[in-house]
Amino acid sequence: MSTEKNLSPVERIKMASDGLRGSLKESLKDQLTGALYEDDQSLIKFHGMYQQDDRDRREERSAKKLEWLYSYMIRLRLPGGFLTSEQWEGLHHIAGEHSTGVIKITTRQTVQLHGILKSHIKPTIKAFNTLHLDSIAACGDVNRNVVCSAHPKQSAIHEKIFQYADKISTLALPKTRAYYEIWLDEEALTDKKKEEDPLYQDRYLPRKFKIAIAIPPNNDVDVLANDIGLIAIVENNELKGFNIAAGGGLSSTHGNPNTYARLASVLGFVASEEKMLKAVYEIMTIQRDFGNRSDRKLARLKYTIDKMGVDNFKTELEKRCGFSLEPVKPYSFTERKDYYGWHQNHEGRWYYTVFAENGRILDDEKAPLKTALLEIAKTRKANFRFTCNQNVIVSDVAESDKDVINGLLESFGIIKHTDGASALRKNSMACVAFNTCPLALAEAQRYLPSLIDKIEPLLEKYHLQQEEITLRMTGCPNGCGRSPLSEIGFVGTAYGRYNLHIGGDRVGERLNRKVKDNLDEAGILEELDRLFNNYSKNRKSGETFGDFTDRMW
Amino acid sequence: MLAGHKLKTLHELIASSSKEEIAWINGYLNGLMANHQPNGNGQAIDGTNGSIQTSPVATKKISLVYGTETGNSKKLATSLAAVAKKKGISVKLAGLDQYKTQDLPKEEFFFVVISTQGEGEPPAPAKKFYDYIHQNQLSLPNLKFSVLALGDTSYPQFCKTGEDVDARLQAFGAKRVVDLQKCDVDYEADAQQWFAKVLEQIENSSANASSIEPKPTIADVKKTGKKYYNGTVTANINLNDRGSNKQTFHIEISTEEKVEYEPGDALAIVPENKKWVVETIIKLTGIDRQLEIATAKKTASLEELLTRHLNICYLLSSAVKKYAAITGQEIPDTRMDLVDLLRIYPVKNASQFEEVLKILPPIAPRLYSISSSPLAQEGEIHITVGKHSFQAKNEERFGLCSEFLGELPIGTKISFYIHKNRAFKLPADEKDIIMVGPGTGIAPFRSFLAERDAKGASGRNWFFFGEQHFTSDFLYQVEMQNYVQTGVLTHIDLAFSRDQQEKIYVQHRMLEKSKELYNWIDTGAHFYISGTKDPMSKDVENILLEIIEREGNKSKEEAKAYLEKMKEEGRYEKDVY
Repeated sequence: MSTEKNLSPVERIKMASDGLRGSLKESLKDQLTGALYEDDQSLIKFHGMYQQDDRDRREERSAKKLEWLYSYMIRLRLPGGFLTSEQWEGLHHIAGEHSTGVIKITTRQTVQLHGILKSHIKPTIKAFNTLHLDSIAACGDVNRNVVCSAHPKQSAIHEKIFQYADKISTLALPKTRAYYEIWLDEEALTDKKKEEDPLYQDRYLPRKFKIAIAIPPNNDVDVLANDIGLIAIVENNELKGFNIAAGGGLSSTHGNPNTYARLASVLGFVASEEKMLKAVYEIMTIQRDFGNRSDRKLARLKYTIDKMGVDNFKTELEKRCGFSLEPVKPYSFTERKDYYGWHQNHEGRWYYTVFAENGRILDDEKAPLKTALLEIAKTRKANFRFTCNQNVIVSDVAESDKDVINGLLESFGIIKHTDGASALRKNSMACVAFNTCPLALAEAQRYLPSLIDKIEPLLEKYHLQQEEITLRMTGCPNGCGRSPLSEIGFVGTAYGRYNLHIGGDRVGERLNRKVKDNLDEAGILEELDRLFNNYSKNRKSGETFGDFTDRMW
Repeated sequence: MLAGHKLKTLHELIASSSKEEIAWINGYLNGLMANHQPNGNGQAIDGTNGSIQTSPVATKKISLVYGTETGNSKKLATSLAAVAKKKGISVKLAGLDQYKTQDLPKEEFFFVVISTQGEGEPPAPAKKFYDYIHQNQLSLPNLKFSVLALGDTSYPQFCKTGEDVDARLQAFGAKRVVDLQKCDVDYEADAQQWFAKVLEQIENSSANASSIEPKPTIADVKKTGKKYYNGTVTANINLNDRGSNKQTFHIEISTEEKVEYEPGDALAIVPENKKWVVETIIKLTGIDRQLEIATAKKTASLEELLTRHLNICYLLSSAVKKYAAITGQEIPDTRMDLVDLLRIYPVKNASQFEEVLKILPPIAPRLYSISSSPLAQEGEIHITVGKHSFQAKNEERFGLCSEFLGELPIGTKISFYIHKNRAFKLPADEKDIIMVGPGTGIAPFRSFLAERDAKGASGRNWFFFGEQHFTSDFLYQVEMQNYVQTGVLTHIDLAFSRDQQEKIYVQHRMLEKSKELYNWIDTGAHFYISGTKDPMSKDVENILLEIIEREGNKSKEEAKAYLEKMKEEGRYEKDVY
């Protein structure tokens, strides 16, 4: 346990924040700057927002004696990634009125808006509130958005799993009413006891915390990349319980050998809802009590577990739970992807998965995605679900409405857009990076599409264009784009430079490894050309690119 | 004002001096005043050898600059600046993205707080400065410096940027007065220790605190006529960001000669006519561009006259009448540009055009409130020119100069003179001031604030500023933020009229603070308005009367009398246009 003495500055800010209030109200009122006071910049994350600035404009603004162009990113808390058509329509208009207009589907099954000015934060949150949407704990040292396997066709138990995502989210919600007071002008509580938070206390967690639920055989949520991964065990279409994994996390820091990506360790099995929720809760309390609070780079659960040892960690967990975990039940992941196009679930409802490149919903030269989805929402004949691969599923369409929705998808060119994208592009992913992410060292979502344009001909050259190779790019080693779990991974090191990682498997159970440092575009293409050539000549029958490169290098 | 014996000495000196000697003394004292702010009565000036012996109580000036990526260096530098100011040291605090590298040779004390990024690079805003000192060979023998480096020991290149800056400054011959201090993530204690040493060094150096010797230039101002200065444009920046409806040019002019001016004064400049208009006129009239022509005020080549001396824009109807008479044509009674006249009512030949030239009035000089302070920005003079601020009656005429200035490339030589504004001056240092200056009205107040900051004036400063949009139109935002952070500005109240449904202007902000505002003026604060006369200055005056009436429990008449009295006392001054 960390001693009081060497607590990181963020720890002090949290404890002194009076339930995450800090001086946010004063910060909002300060007209001199578009930024928040420094401590509040840490606190606003717990309310689902990040203070950012347009990094493209820094130099120009400084020359004009203007401060950086500060704005805010807001991320919704959307357990399981679901919106009704009314909510989508509302989101569409909020995005237009208060943000850059682009709706970004994240790698954690929710949506975020960028470029919100300080004076627009409250109106934005109020508007979301009227849609019964909030952003509480979407960022910060708390449990973030809980994700689950996205596609209802996967299993008859999908609906149940989806509800668990919501239950876990509610279980791990901070108790403070600060969000309602600051952003929605609710009266301050007179009885502070109602805010007592046995889980988070006044220190919250040492670092962010992520939970995912997967329904095998699809690992679309990248369950082992999470602090807690729940693997649903289904027998004869019946949910038997969950294997519980803990200690996953993909972030690392360049030049800091103490940091590393780690897959979650599968600890054991629990049969009941009650036990599953208890185990999730107690894993969080262990992390709260044992996590490193002096060095934020070493604060995730994965380091806590490695420090304790997996067995000791499990013993502590069982002690806190008051029951033992059963032995891990067998399970198998055979894929990790989105089911593009139309699919039907067991109840006969229809689902169309739309390809949204890097999760960006806007009208651009490729397709008028944003308008199309708005028109679909206006029919009130579909819901919207998001996937951890940053796509959107037009969901729960009745058989009788399918023609109407299909007609809209067709007339806006969405079907053509989805069908026409290459296998590589549809299995690619990029984080936000420039121009708003303060951590970015290199471009990601703004650059990857054009890089793929140049990789596609290489695949065609070796007749590999049908291969569903996963390619992921992140602008820094923090891993929002889950690059360490891809067959081809790029991690930004400097502007225009990337480390190349290969050898990850297709289903997300083996991390990739770095093989080249600091490649520029020409270097990337040269290296991939060599690898594709080799793969096309020397692979075994049915061997994926990831397995091949793992075997060869 | 002068005690009897001092006055007597002065009279004796004057009586025994020649006219030239008196002129020299005059210039000498002026130079002295500009560099040297007396502080109470403790000032002794010994000018026997033409050198200045400054007393230890003189304000010491230091520059404290920071290079920051996360804001830590800025936060730290700001708090250190506040500490220094409390000790009566005048601190120029600037981010390295704002710092002008050409000022380096002028610095005496130069302290750097700078962080290091991941792979040992400088923080992005400091890159320009970092590259400059690495790509240039400078000589800084007079500079005294020290560097505080922030870093993180978990990185291999711990504090590399700080080390680099420290090494470069030393390589330039500058004197390191305190050793490089490297700090880990918990930097506070180390930083404070470092700064304590820095302060000690500054205080120990008091013997020669003011190394800058005023140049006792004999003022070459003739009693009649204006003193023209030659300067070079060294910066020309549109302060408004993309998407703004406004264009406001911040123009810096450097001069070799010291320009005699005070905060509140204006810079007068004669704009040039547009090149394409002059060319069109030459083409239309077929006249020889080299032809020497004598007009009432100036004899010069035709091209020179048309470009720099004669007004050809939006001629008065009286001039149009004269044109009609010379060319013998029927022209309606209206105002017109010369080029349009020539197009529609051509002259017969070149010699008839020569006649026309003689009736053209000279280009009138335009006045711009100076936005720099002679104390804080030595060797340069700044103006703040709004492209749309001068539309009141005569759009074309005023448009000519702001457009001319806005398009001036860096390096352009220009000539100007100073227009004294005795009715708009800073009060004594200990007096409080309230400044209301929306839009380009900010210009003289930027000068006021820089001057008071440089002097370490003890009076409080309150500024009301307004524009259309916060994001794009907050003129000099970073400077104002620094003034707030270092305590120079006690209050700043901002009104961005178009950021919300209802229009909010400076006078609305005044009303919101009416109690405190009245309190300030009732205890002797000076009140200044700068900017557009109509409607701004009138609205502000009306609200001020309302505040006096309400908060002072006065009748309308009494409030008016109160304001009248403020005027008489020189506590209510306007610079409006």
